[in-house]
Amino acid sequence: MTTRPELKTDGNFLPGLIALALFGVFAAVFLTASFPDPAGFAGEGSITASIGYAMFNLAGGAHPSEGFLVAFEIIDFVLVAALAAAVMLAKTEEDGRIAGALRFDSDDSNDESAATRTDGGRDRPRSEEGR
Amino acid sequence: MVPAQYYLVLSAAMFCIGLFGILTRRNALLFLMSVELMLTAANINFVAFSLQHGNLTGQVFSLFTIALAAAEVAVGIGIILVLYRSFRDVDVTQATTMRW
Repeated sequence: MTTRPELKTDGNFLPGLIALALFGVFAAVFLTASFPDPAGFAGEGSITASIGYAMFNLAGGAHPSEGFLVAFEIIDFVLVAALAAAVMLAKTEEDGRIAGALRFDSDDSNDESAATRTDGGRDRPRSEEGR
Repeated sequence: MVPAQYYLVLSAAMFCIGLFGILTRRNALLFLMSVELMLTAANINFVAFSLQHGNLTGQVFSLFTIALAAAEVAVGIGIILVLYRSFRDVDVTQATTMRW
């Protein structure tokens, strides 16, 4: 017997009608609006190089743009914070024990039920599962 | 040159596909993918109007949007991991049992 991917149809598709209606409104508005011809990037000069200049507030870009140096620095902090938060979320156990992916020697490796899994998490025993 | 309306309709279609996924699916990973679709639809608008106005600001801004989406996915994956450890499932409706 062969199997093949099938569309999952057991969901509730009624709220999806909102998305379809929204697309109808969008299409009706956009297709009736009129835009002038695109200005395009006239003249010589690399667009990619101009993006690089604009990202660091450097003069020398061939195409006009605002400077983005402050946004670049802010996104730096945001990315570091997000990665630290992701590590924190991934390594904290439900009992507060630190059993992260960065710990190599497991102290409770003799306990079979508390063995650290490869993803850093601990497999919960069946008895703890409260449904 | 392609008129701006076509880009807008493409962007609206991608946004609505993402919204459809968020409204109908219960898998948390599919939620993340749908949010990515919606963010990418915004990026398409940025780049399309960058071409429309002959100004590179939209293209640079879309780069920052992509970086923000990466940060959002990093946190989202962490949350899904905790959700899976707590409920042994990635069904987002399971987390409603945390209400009191």
